[in-house]
Amino acid sequence: MGKPVILLSSVTYAMKGRDLLFRRGIRAFVERIPPTSQSGCGYGLYVPQGVEEAESLLRENHIKILGRAEREAVP
Amino acid sequence: MIYLDNSATTYPKPPAVGQAVSQALRQFGANPGRGGFAMSMRTGQAVYQCRETAARLFGAPGPECVVFQPSCTQALNLVMKGCLQPGDHVVVSDMEHNAVMRPLAALKERGISFTAAAVTPGDSDATLQAFRGAMNSKTKLLVCTQASNVFGLRVPVERLAALCHQYGAKICVDAAQSAGVIPISLADSGIDYLCCAGHKGLFGPMGTGLLIFRDSGDKLATLVEGGTGTQSLSPLQPDDPPERYNPGTQNVPGILGLRAGMDFVLRQGPEKIYRDEMGKISYLYGRLAKLPQVELYTPPPQTPWFMPVLSFNVKGLPSEEVGSILARRDIAVRCGLHCAPAAHTKMGTRERGTVRVSPSIFTRREELDVLTRAVSAIAPGK
Repeated sequence: MGKPVILLSSVTYAMKGRDLLFRRGIRAFVERIPPTSQSGCGYGLYVPQGVEEAESLLRENHIKILGRAEREAVP
Repeated sequence: MIYLDNSATTYPKPPAVGQAVSQALRQFGANPGRGGFAMSMRTGQAVYQCRETAARLFGAPGPECVVFQPSCTQALNLVMKGCLQPGDHVVVSDMEHNAVMRPLAALKERGISFTAAAVTPGDSDATLQAFRGAMNSKTKLLVCTQASNVFGLRVPVERLAALCHQYGAKICVDAAQSAGVIPISLADSGIDYLCCAGHKGLFGPMGTGLLIFRDSGDKLATLVEGGTGTQSLSPLQPDDPPERYNPGTQNVPGILGLRAGMDFVLRQGPEKIYRDEMGKISYLYGRLAKLPQVELYTPPPQTPWFMPVLSFNVKGLPSEEVGSILARRDIAVRCGLHCAPAAHTKMGTRERGTVRVSPSIFTRREELDVLTRAVSAIAPGK
């Protein structure tokens, strides 16, 4: 199973989202994401657990979500 | 050297600023917001923390509202050129710096008009009335300095913000002289765009500035387009701030130095800095007022009507000549028109200019005594 990564519009919003989720008790990590066919390269949040809740919290706090990717887990 | 030109740029800087710049060069050497490797991510995090610090200092909604700029001038240009269209009208004060007046002169060629409203020192009701009279149905933006960079006169920008919102206009404040010296909160003041120099009251390195939005959804046209490290397949500049307005590689040493400067301001507290500097400028005013050859142009500087900036002349002498005499005694002041001919026209000093003194929190009263003695030794001209 891959790592769920929430795609965000910029590194600033990725860091803001990470801090917001941490304050709510959800661990999240900013990661560089490989280019997607929709937008090209960018940044996202790897959320090991609770990705659905995380997305919901980000939306409630007006952080635009570009999509979600399942990344290969790196050993 | 006795340095009294802090309105131009503060000197010295707190030691932590130099240390932060040096650390940036040694430890944060990768491009932020571009790579996924450790040093790029660390550098991106350090830049992000500077945005957070600025947002906290200025009561902005969040770090995404903080846009780095190379100067306050550039920030002002971005706001004016980014939101005005042909047919729009702008209101400014009658004390604006060329950082406001020259962009407006350029915009006039594109069909954008402006009106200057008079600031009445010490009477915010009269000032408000003048601005109200200058506004019309086409007024889209009010741009004004929070304090004259020549005479220290303050403008009641919070009341002006309320006024222009009544008219459906926005307010852009030139905080070149006030940021870091007095408390400013976008949340409380209603200021839509706050333009700051990073290297003055915020104690950052030269080449730094800030544009801070009250609303991250407020979208300006861009002055410069280019790579942002994200959404790279799109030929268009991203919509979201701050990256929308920050294409190209950022000035990381400057930004990290600026953060250290803002941390210093937060630790001191702008209230304390203002009290300290106003105490010094009032002291100097009292000393200079006793010298018969000195001409002063304002009433004694009082809280909250003034910023700690004072202009004077020696009777019969051009301001530049007084500046040269003081420079030979290793006293650094700024003479001439201070890039603000409008303020000099208002105060009747357009021909001679003035000698401007601006202390900082690092200025000692003994240094002001040395200045006073040096001025007292200058014989008035004919």
